[in-house]
Amino acid sequence: MTPIAGPCTLRPMASEIAEITAFLGGTPPFDTLPVGEVSALARVVTVSYARAGDVVLESGTMNDRLYVVRSGSVELRLAGEELTARLGAGSCFAYPSLLRGGEVRNTTIALEDTLLYSLPAEHFHRLRKDAPSFGAHFADDEAQRIRHALKQQKLGRMPELDRTSLEELVRRGDPVSCPPDATIRDAVRVMRDRDVSTLAICTTAGLVGIFTDKDLRNRVVAGETPLDQPVSAVMTEGPRTLSSHASVAEAMAMMAAGGFRHIPLLDSAGNLISILSATDILAFMGSNAIDAGMAIAKAPTPEAFVAASKQIDEGFAAMVGSGFHAIHAMRFTSALGEAAHRRAAELAEAELGPPPVPYALVVFGSLAREEQLVGSDQDNGLVLSDEIDADGRAYFERLGGRISDLLNDAGFVYCKGGIMAKEAGQRLTLGDWQRRYEHWIDSPTEDAVLRATIFFDMRCVHGSQSLVRELRRAVIGKVAASPLFISYLARDALRSKVPLGIFRNLVLEKSDDGHKVFDAKAQAIMPVIDVARTLALAHGIEAVGTVERLRALAEGGKMAKGDSQSLEDAFLFVNELRIAHQAVQVKAGDRPDNAIEPASLSPLERDYLKDAFSVIRNALDSLRRNQAGGIA
Amino acid sequence: MTGGDWLAGWRFARRLKRLANADGDARPLADYAKGAWPVRGSPAREAPFLALDFELDGLGTGAHVLQAGWLPFDAGGIPLAGAEARDIRSGKTLDDAAVTVHGIGEERARKGEPLAEVMPELLRALSGRIVIAHGASIERDVLLRTTRKLYGMALPVRSICTLAIERKLHPGLVGSEPYRLATARSRYNLPPHGQHDALGDALAAAELFLAQLSRLPADTSLGSLERLAVGH
Repeated sequence: MTPIAGPCTLRPMASEIAEITAFLGGTPPFDTLPVGEVSALARVVTVSYARAGDVVLESGTMNDRLYVVRSGSVELRLAGEELTARLGAGSCFAYPSLLRGGEVRNTTIALEDTLLYSLPAEHFHRLRKDAPSFGAHFADDEAQRIRHALKQQKLGRMPELDRTSLEELVRRGDPVSCPPDATIRDAVRVMRDRDVSTLAICTTAGLVGIFTDKDLRNRVVAGETPLDQPVSAVMTEGPRTLSSHASVAEAMAMMAAGGFRHIPLLDSAGNLISILSATDILAFMGSNAIDAGMAIAKAPTPEAFVAASKQIDEGFAAMVGSGFHAIHAMRFTSALGEAAHRRAAELAEAELGPPPVPYALVVFGSLAREEQLVGSDQDNGLVLSDEIDADGRAYFERLGGRISDLLNDAGFVYCKGGIMAKEAGQRLTLGDWQRRYEHWIDSPTEDAVLRATIFFDMRCVHGSQSLVRELRRAVIGKVAASPLFISYLARDALRSKVPLGIFRNLVLEKSDDGHKVFDAKAQAIMPVIDVARTLALAHGIEAVGTVERLRALAEGGKMAKGDSQSLEDAFLFVNELRIAHQAVQVKAGDRPDNAIEPASLSPLERDYLKDAFSVIRNALDSLRRNQAGGIA
Repeated sequence: MTGGDWLAGWRFARRLKRLANADGDARPLADYAKGAWPVRGSPAREAPFLALDFELDGLGTGAHVLQAGWLPFDAGGIPLAGAEARDIRSGKTLDDAAVTVHGIGEERARKGEPLAEVMPELLRALSGRIVIAHGASIERDVLLRTTRKLYGMALPVRSICTLAIERKLHPGLVGSEPYRLATARSRYNLPPHGQHDALGDALAAAELFLAQLSRLPADTSLGSLERLAVGH
């Protein structure tokens, strides 16, 4: 063709498909390439279409193209079997085969009707060599892919992620937005004033982009973009969106696949209702344990402390819902409980001034064993240095009262039995505590032991560790040398009724509303705790947690390893049931209890439960023979 | 091959034959005729296609071509390496409405190439291929009209209309909206295409055709799809 005469022949972007250039230009790692390179690449793209279920690439064949999902999604299966990854729009695949010379190991199947772009291998190799950012993407992505696969496996165990819609995670309402022609300066001011890290860029027609703190860092500051430029110049244009009805799992997959942390959510009419961030999902999954702990630990005022502590229940329900094991859920709740006690003491000290003598805040019972669930009341007390005087006692009366009040406000309600720092009987000097324990140990009565067992699970959460260590040492040493006291402990443990008939049928009592229920705590958990405590104390073991006690017993040769393991399993299994039960109640806004209806369990769970009961009964039988002097 | 296919095939071959000896200015027609044309009874999935779109300055028979975009492809994929887009030179004052829709200003249209220069290139690309377009009758008409004007002979064209296929695959939808290119594409999970230029529209139609093919029986013949387009 003869060129048209004149200075400007203007066959402007003659054969360029703006659509494809724009898509590649906004898709990692192509977005790191120079504009000219992207246009050139667009010209060597081949577009193809796969219907849902179609095999795009088959394991064992040879491949010489790099694929990018344009719309729809594909699933990669290693050797056609095990699920390895699900990829949505903007994701690259098939490059591992290019890296190893063409052999395809992942069968790729279209999950939905899918439009694909593909590029010849030679361009992939050339860019990997010439453009470091491009090459790095594929190096990183290998590891990412494995992480993604692991995450996917976990997803299988977390049905809650598939069932929970994003709507439940975010606050509905007008997201903070600004028009695309606003200057960067104005946009950032809006973000500061409204205290958001993500800004929706909207025209009257709807969402056109988002602008995040990260964009501010990378595109404005590092990119040295003048602040009077329109925000549209630095926003992420046409972000991927999800329906607010989409599941958490879908959002996770989209974020993992796209490598971004924000997804605008649209309602069914297509209106922007919120911007979901990765933090929202992490919070939902309970990975905010640390954040929640931080919020409690750093609460500047009693009000902030109470507000932060109220998050514990929700965090617990979310953790359980997303498939965390019982033991982790208990640890999480206990850790936050401990943080709350410590902060309550610190806030009280801040109000009343520094303590006149060393003291320790101790917790008893489940919190001491790190087995606390939500809805527990407070069981605590103060160990005071023996040097205390009358003024000092007055100080600790106010301090103990303040700690209990703060905890009560924060959801750790007052202990009905008076085991709390608010009560004078729980604010003793080290010497007085020792005498109290000695009294229990030397002259036990059934009634006194019943009320005293909780004191043998003790842990220091604030103040002078050494005071508590001294007390514990003295108590443990004394108990181990007192077979009479041990026999009382054992007999106390034997009072619990394990609901298992001779023919392995569940023998249950009717609850108030006439349903047959069993009390998971009284009839299964407490017996295990009692067995572990009794044996640990009998053998001078200092561990406080039930599982730790059982393990220490097995290691010390005081209990058969198999028995210890079975008891631990039974303990964890019933706790799983109990925790799941309580998570449902917490989510429904009910007060958590321990009354489980066997009818609500699956046949398999009922079978496991019977096994657990028989393990517990055997342990109690053994305790009767060996520690209770054959009585009871 | 059905009787209709045979007849239509014979008619097309006879008309190509008439072009075989064209020379001088009409030489491109002879080259077009020499292509390896697929038989109508062969499976559509094995045939070569050319997605084609013209942007016009109006809807009437006198409308001027402002832009032409085309892409050769087959059922296996659409390689963009073969994509071409040409602004066509037009000295005429442009229809305001069309200018707005296509975003092709008078300035740019004046600087385009004369149709006489673009057409031979298009004919080379089209030789042996079946035109794919959404509402293919427009592209057919433009090809007939412009070749008659340039070469004195109307071009025999084989075409498949994605709109006609859509009416067959999804019959009975109310009104014309469900059959528009963008609406039809969304039924196949194809992404929205914002562009209103000739090449963008040609690609959009080609993608739609691939999606439609994935819904049709594997042995669907070329002729059965070409027949759908006829009369549109």
